[in-house]
Amino acid sequence: MSGTIQDTSVDAIRSWLAGRIAFYLQRSVEEIDHDLPLVEIGLDSVYAMTLSGDVEERYDIEVEPTMAWDHPTVNALAGYLHGVLGSRG
Amino acid sequence: MSVDTASVPGQVADAGAEPDLETYLGNPHDPANPVSFPAVLAADERGELLAEGERALDGYGLNAEFVPRALGGRFDRADRLAQVLRAVFRRDTTLGVGYGVTTFIAATPVWTDGTAQQRRWMADLLLRHGKASAGYNELAHGTDFSRAELRARPAGDHYRVTGRKEMVGNLARADAVTLFARTDDRPGSRSHSHLLLDMAALPAEHRRHLRRYRTAGVRGVLLGGLEFTDCPVPSDAVVGEPGGAMETVLRAFQVTRGVLPGMAVGIVDTQLRTVLRFALDRRLYGLPVAELPHARTTLVDGFLDLLIGDCLATVVARALHLLPDQTSVYSAAVKYLVPKLLQEAAHRLSVVLGARSYLRDGPYGIFQKNLRDLLAATLTHASAAVCQATIIPQLPRLAQQGWRSSPPPPPALFRLGDPLPPLDFGALGLSARGVDSLTATLRGYLAEPGAQPAVARLCGLFTAELDRLAEACAELPPRDRTVIAGRRSFDLTDRYATVLAAAACLGVWRHQRDDPFLGDVPWLAAALSRLAGRLGLHPGTAPDGLERHLYTELLARHRDNRGFDLVNRRLAG
Amino acid sequence: MRYPAFALAEHLDHGLGDPRDPGRAASFARCVELDSREEFPAEICAELDRLGLPRWYVPTEYGGELRSYEELLHAVRILARRDLTVAIGHGKTYLGAVSAWVGATPEQARRVGAEVLAGSVISLALTEREHGSDLLAGEVSAVPAGDGYRVDGEKWLINNASRGDLVCVLARTEPAGGTRGFSLLLVDKRRLAPGTFRCLPKERTHGVRGADISGIAFTGAEVPAEALLGPAGAGPEIVLKSVQLTRTMCAAMSLGLADQALRLVLDFATAHRLYDRPLVDLPHANRTLTEAYVDLLIGEATSVLTARGIHATPDELSVTSAIAKYLVPTMMDRAIPRLGQVLGARALLTEDHADGLFQKIERDHRIVGIFDGNTLVNLNTLVNQFPGLVRGYRRGVADPGLTDTVDLARPLPDFDRSRLALLSRTGCSVVQQFPVAAAELLDLVEAGVAPPALAVQVETLADLIDGLHERMAAYRPSPRQVPAEAFALAGQYALAFAAAGCLHLWLRNRHRLAGGATGPLWADARWLRACLHRLIGQLRPAGVAGSAPDDDGEDYDRLLPDLRAQHREGRLFSLLPSRLAEAGTPPPDPPSETAGQPDEQPSRTAGAVTQPSEVVR
Ligand SMILES: Cc1cc2nc3c(=O)[nH]c(=O)nc-3n(C[C@H](O)[C@H](O)[C@H](O)COP(=O)(O)OP(=O)(O)OC[C@H]3O[C@@H](n4cnc5c(N)ncnc54)[C@H](O)[C@@H]3O)c2cc1C
Ligand SMILES: Cc1cc2nc3c(=O)[nH]c(=O)nc-3n(C[C@H](O)[C@H](O)[C@H](O)COP(=O)(O)OP(=O)(O)OC[C@H]3O[C@@H](n4cnc5c(N)ncnc54)[C@H](O)[C@@H]3O)c2cc1C
Repeated sequence: MSGTIQDTSVDAIRSWLAGRIAFYLQRSVEEIDHDLPLVEIGLDSVYAMTLSGDVEERYDIEVEPTMAWDHPTVNALAGYLHGVLGSRG
Repeated sequence: MSVDTASVPGQVADAGAEPDLETYLGNPHDPANPVSFPAVLAADERGELLAEGERALDGYGLNAEFVPRALGGRFDRADRLAQVLRAVFRRDTTLGVGYGVTTFIAATPVWTDGTAQQRRWMADLLLRHGKASAGYNELAHGTDFSRAELRARPAGDHYRVTGRKEMVGNLARADAVTLFARTDDRPGSRSHSHLLLDMAALPAEHRRHLRRYRTAGVRGVLLGGLEFTDCPVPSDAVVGEPGGAMETVLRAFQVTRGVLPGMAVGIVDTQLRTVLRFALDRRLYGLPVAELPHARTTLVDGFLDLLIGDCLATVVARALHLLPDQTSVYSAAVKYLVPKLLQEAAHRLSVVLGARSYLRDGPYGIFQKNLRDLLAATLTHASAAVCQATIIPQLPRLAQQGWRSSPPPPPALFRLGDPLPPLDFGALGLSARGVDSLTATLRGYLAEPGAQPAVARLCGLFTAELDRLAEACAELPPRDRTVIAGRRSFDLTDRYATVLAAAACLGVWRHQRDDPFLGDVPWLAAALSRLAGRLGLHPGTAPDGLERHLYTELLARHRDNRGFDLVNRRLAG
Repeated sequence: MRYPAFALAEHLDHGLGDPRDPGRAASFARCVELDSREEFPAEICAELDRLGLPRWYVPTEYGGELRSYEELLHAVRILARRDLTVAIGHGKTYLGAVSAWVGATPEQARRVGAEVLAGSVISLALTEREHGSDLLAGEVSAVPAGDGYRVDGEKWLINNASRGDLVCVLARTEPAGGTRGFSLLLVDKRRLAPGTFRCLPKERTHGVRGADISGIAFTGAEVPAEALLGPAGAGPEIVLKSVQLTRTMCAAMSLGLADQALRLVLDFATAHRLYDRPLVDLPHANRTLTEAYVDLLIGEATSVLTARGIHATPDELSVTSAIAKYLVPTMMDRAIPRLGQVLGARALLTEDHADGLFQKIERDHRIVGIFDGNTLVNLNTLVNQFPGLVRGYRRGVADPGLTDTVDLARPLPDFDRSRLALLSRTGCSVVQQFPVAAAELLDLVEAGVAPPALAVQVETLADLIDGLHERMAAYRPSPRQVPAEAFALAGQYALAFAAAGCLHLWLRNRHRLAGGATGPLWADARWLRACLHRLIGQLRPAGVAGSAPDDDGEDYDRLLPDLRAQHREGRLFSLLPSRLAEAGTPPPDPPSETAGQPDEQPSRTAGAVTQPSEVVR
């Protein structure tokens, strides 16, 4: 996947993230509340770090493994990533 | 350096020369030695830390081993630290944990994230033989740190602390406590901070010591509890960024978890020596027990397990300096695998020692103590499951790239005598980002033109195993990558850790060409075969005389009173 | 649906009361406290006397009520579950007396029986400071003097040597020693001249800290001729036959200890939360629990078959008792620390968590593999019999008693000591009849009665067991220089026995047991599948280890409801229905239907109690 051009709109990032989280938790995407902290959805600290790996693979960028700690909801993360990707040009 | 050696008569460390801990500890079998095995056993029976032992360690200045050189201590190499502490563990795990490890765990977050002032303060305290406690554990939450409840609320220029910590070493006599406290009510990983407490300065009426927790292993370690009620703590006690403790922990614990297994090697070093003594002395069916093939095999296997464990422990400790961006995986792997190997070895040795492994007195009484202590050391500071759970989320990425195409490690990783760059705590990565240079050693060897066929064949078993692992990890169903991962994921970490151990053995062998034993093929072939067997792979039949070769080395070391580890140095007595 | 062989165990357990009630003399809390004070559990042993336990140490023909070793097995198991120190502190008398049941004249045996029924403590003294497993190296001597013998020398590391009234001593009666050079003497300490013996101080031990592990030194101690048990020179033979009985009972100790360990960890895993869910809901943790459960079921199957074999196939006991004594303690030596990993730091606490019981169990259990013939001695017994075992397997030999052994509903014949043998002439029927059982199972699969997955397992096992026998056949016996690989083969043979035994048990008992409290385990053979899964994993030679990628071990997960139900309902972790004291109500059917009720005054002499026969109704 990495290297290919990805849609970096907030919406696209958001739905991709929600998809990943739903994947880990084995729930349907609709069940993922975009404003609820990930811990409360069931993604614990160490595991939230897995998301950073997924992001690096998909968008071919480096992010902090703790990214999801500082932006602990889907919406916050999507906004943050959008900013990072946007600034990358 | 403020190391005080005056309290040990006749033992004054040479200015300039590194003091030698073995000489401080003396002959373990000399009843006149206050730190002998009989004295250690008696203290264990009383549930006390051996006071003379603490005095000897004060005399040696053990705390200085935990203080970075830049701050006036002797800590400049994690592998050396493990070796120094190994001497303590060889004698008395209780001292190792209750005097050593506890303090080291408490100090590390301060080195990792503390201000210059905090670092100076902690360094001075330790160099004065002060005691620091690591205040993390709450029985209700254990390793699930993000749910720790002890609360520190900002109130003007200070915090008010309420809550309790339980089963914490040395709490009742600590001069300093590194306290893991919730500073934000929100769930998540940015809600905790470290507070560095100066216990002398805390108002007594706001804290209450809980009863001591008594344990079956390391019985002398003073495990206590502390309850705070609205206890004022100055704001400048915060170590690092407020809310940053989880991250600090993930860095600092790589160091502590990375070196602890290398220390624990000392416990089984003593176990092996004890059982070897028995097997040489005890006669059965007209022969010394050591002449019975089963006993012989068990002894040699124990020796191999020590070498394997030390290879992985030493290499991971060196990786903290050389590959800090990868040690989030390695430190968990070593803390998982090495105690497990040691525990299995100790169990097999206990079968040879038979009834003597059950007696608390007599010439082999240390064995049963070490059995109990080893169990405690294994459970201390992250259980097997916790370490494995740290590796699991990283497996898919390692599988995707790291196991196929990581850069080889610098040779210094394996050149045991080479100096190391200072350990940069800040450089320790929270994730290895799919890179694994240690196992790249295996592929590297296969690609080498001059590779020895016998060694290459064994290495091939492990690279093939890595390929299979990669496949299995890439296919891991989603939930098997999370906290509710099933056994399958845990088994994969076990196999992966075993491959890491093989890579460490290979690397050590390749780079000790001048060492007549370590540079020679037999031990490596035996070690790799043993690890392959652990994975259920066919290592092929051992060449004739291999066991005899290793037994001869074991016996020679025993006769010269040398250690059974990589260091192979003379012991006291 | 009952399993009457549990009756005695339930009688004892309920008689001692709920062990979680600290007010009880035999509570866990009290047992842990006694252990930490290194104090003998005298009060609890007295209670067992009141409950009549000594009667079950004495065979009926010598005045007691011991007619079923299956029943005694479960009694030992239930006592060990509560406290191993109690189990060995009290049960030692059985060990001290068993030589009489095996080797003494009937009249002598009746006298010994009367002693036991009167509450005398008897210990067994084989070991010396310099000699353990090698019985023929013993130095304690007995030379004819007057009408009897004069005994000299020291026995050491002897359970109840100091507390005992009588000591059964293995002594050298021919200076040259040899297999006919040793005899057993039942020495009555109460009748020795003062100054001719001395009890040695209690040894401080790793576990069972309250037990009287001491010794006795004789200096010219004169004993009467009647002290000689069996013929002169028969000592080693009687000992080697007796241990076939006692080693089987040792397996029960492991079962009891591991049962309680699992119970404690389940308590914790249900209550403790981690990552926002009960620990028991973390798959890795609950897999550790179900694995331990499966180990217990395997251990139970192995022990029950061995105990029933004492009656039905005693000629094979030299093989089966070695298997039970090796396999069950070794399995639990591994399972208990693994359970400790789930308990985490609490596994170490001596006072604070669940009475500090776990660490005690862990320490106590280690002795089971050491005493009464250690791991290697038992494996060596098997290695010595490889040729006969291979022969028996190739010829498919079946002892006619096998049917009684494996069908729990069949009444067992009385134990016949004359059928004990030092070597089994028929090999080991349980293993040798595996191919027959496998064929029967395949038919059941064909008929849609048994799950197809079982067919795959049984075929895999058949290959593994064939291969194992080939390797055993290739082994060239060497009397002392037994290589490590031969011990490994013997260990595999024990696993093969367990696997074959599980299969026989399921086939012969599935109809009756599918209806009872443990019915769900039997109905879809789920216990069998999990046990075979585990045994196959351990039997696989190097090279094919590691679970297949599509194998997630659902076989274990399916047992979780059964495990949790047995835990909740206060039952033993078992294939068979039982009720522990925790369950509250007294057992439905106390063993003494005609004699003393549990809390009545004990009858110190042989009661005319008939045991309900060990028929599963
Ligand atoms: C708590 C406790 C209670 C006990 N109670 C009693 C009691 O009541 N009565 C009594 O008589 N004894 C008792 N014993 C002693 C115990 O039964 C013996 O110690 C034990 O059976 C074997 O002896 P050993 O461990 O001294 O080892 P040894 O027989 O000296 O053997 C030494 C080692 O050699 C190895 N070995 C032994 N045989 C073989 C073999 N065939 N092949 C290869 N290796 C082998 C084993 O590893 C063994 O550990 C007790 C011991 C303890 C600890
Ligand atoms: C000798 C000793 C000294 C100590 N000193 C200190 C000290 O100085 N300071 C301090 O703060 N603490 C100290 N501790 C406490 C120690 O850090 C705790 O043992 C640790 O926090 C783990 O907690 P826990 O064992 O209570 O188990 P928990 O973390 O509550 O875990 C319970 C069980 O769950 C298992 N588990 C965890 N994750 C998973 C998973 N994903 N899947 C399945 N199972 C899982 C664990 O293995 C464990 O068995 C000490 C402990 C000991 C034994």
